[in-house]
Amino acid sequence: MARVAVVQIPGVNCEYETARALEVVGLTARIVRWNEPASVWSEFDAYVIPGGFAFQDRIRAGAVAAKLPAVDRIAAEAERGKPVLGICNGAQVLVEAGLVPGLHPGRVEMALAPNRAPRREGYLCRWSWLGVTPGPGSSWYARNVRPGQVIPMPIAHGEGRFLTADPEVQERIEIEKMVLYRFVAPSGGRAVRYPFDPNGATLQAAGITNRAGNILAFMPHPERATWLRQVPLELKNAWGESRRAAVGNWEALEGPGPGRILFQSLASNLLSPSAEGARPGREARS
Amino acid sequence: MSAVLLVGLKITDLSAWTALETGRRLLEPGHTLSRIAREQLLLFEPEPGGKAETFERTLGEAVRQSNFFVNPNKERYHFLTSSERGESWSPPDSAWGILTRVREDTRDDGLKARLLREHPMPGLGAIRRAKVWWLWSRGPDGTPAAPYFRETLGELRDQRHGLLVNPHAETAMLLHGATPWSRVDRFLIQPAPALRAAA
Repeated sequence: MARVAVVQIPGVNCEYETARALEVVGLTARIVRWNEPASVWSEFDAYVIPGGFAFQDRIRAGAVAAKLPAVDRIAAEAERGKPVLGICNGAQVLVEAGLVPGLHPGRVEMALAPNRAPRREGYLCRWSWLGVTPGPGSSWYARNVRPGQVIPMPIAHGEGRFLTADPEVQERIEIEKMVLYRFVAPSGGRAVRYPFDPNGATLQAAGITNRAGNILAFMPHPERATWLRQVPLELKNAWGESRRAAVGNWEALEGPGPGRILFQSLASNLLSPSAEGARPGREARS
Repeated sequence: MSAVLLVGLKITDLSAWTALETGRRLLEPGHTLSRIAREQLLLFEPEPGGKAETFERTLGEAVRQSNFFVNPNKERYHFLTSSERGESWSPPDSAWGILTRVREDTRDDGLKARLLREHPMPGLGAIRRAKVWWLWSRGPDGTPAAPYFRETLGELRDQRHGLLVNPHAETAMLLHGATPWSRVDRFLIQPAPALRAAA
């Protein structure tokens, strides 16, 4: 059974629902405090840094958490090929730690800057539309996404704008297809303005991976869209239709929501026969 | 010449405190950091061709008598008119500073629009924003060792180097000793230098 650490840093607030989302796709999730001993971290097969406000976003979102020894240890595990998913504040931590995009491992090459849209500023809490551009992260985080599929997912952030001041970094992440998830229009076309481009991110990026594809900094909240009951009734697409049709039908409401696809992708990898076969026995590692 | 408002917390600034605690962990032995403080800086420019004197009195009253800029229960401020601010800006005793601004346009048009709704003041041009971190530091030789501390705690480069400024979103300027206000004005008004040039 694949074990996933959901990293509980002081100030995060999505660890329990993230753990539930991982459990529902068949993974074993454990909420792990940031100050656990060094030996604990290698016991896991994957790591999720959930959303919230680590250290109250003091200095900058993710800035303080990025300096934690736990993040160092997770980075070391990622170098061994283990997947690391940062959701929202977790994405901010990964960017501030230099793990994403990681063109020069360890070097900070991006920021998650305050949202920027005409006549709008501050925190955004709404549903957005995502498209996938296949790249090195596809097999870990978008394995089950159909070509052209548009995935609705909620966002909730004040600093969600992927930004780099280094033109070479921007060029590399585009050429190497590291922008796995982008904000798109509901039709799947390019998001050219608010609300479809909600924060003005470089390349409309919603989720960027490292070169190897095993680390994903993802600004939307898939754990808030893992069950159909979490989809808003007024959503104007097939997911909204399914949600409206499920009113009063508890079994249907407990069915998958659009965000589950990301966790399912992770699980498909971690639970594949080859991954299970390659995993050493727990006893050997403890 | 522009007017300047500096606003800081008079209650404990937990961001500054966390910066201090986190920053200390990045230092090499022999270097000490005794305090970090943080202030917001607002620069009030006159309209092109105008003078700050035309709006400073109204602005000063808005600062002192309304709660538009300052919550007196938790914040303290220094408001300096264009004539009061003098030629240069000196750090607090024994401190030096890192002045930061966003790489993009520093003008805050939303703040200006809200201000003018409540406090009409003809002649006010742009309002620009920046932030200053004041540091009280000592190197092994007993000097403030500002270059070392800026390298270690200023612009973020990797997990071990940099903290206060993410250079992909912000740019920074050292405030060591008396800094001419004209330099500060240019830093806030001119486009940010390219990252590689700044490095």
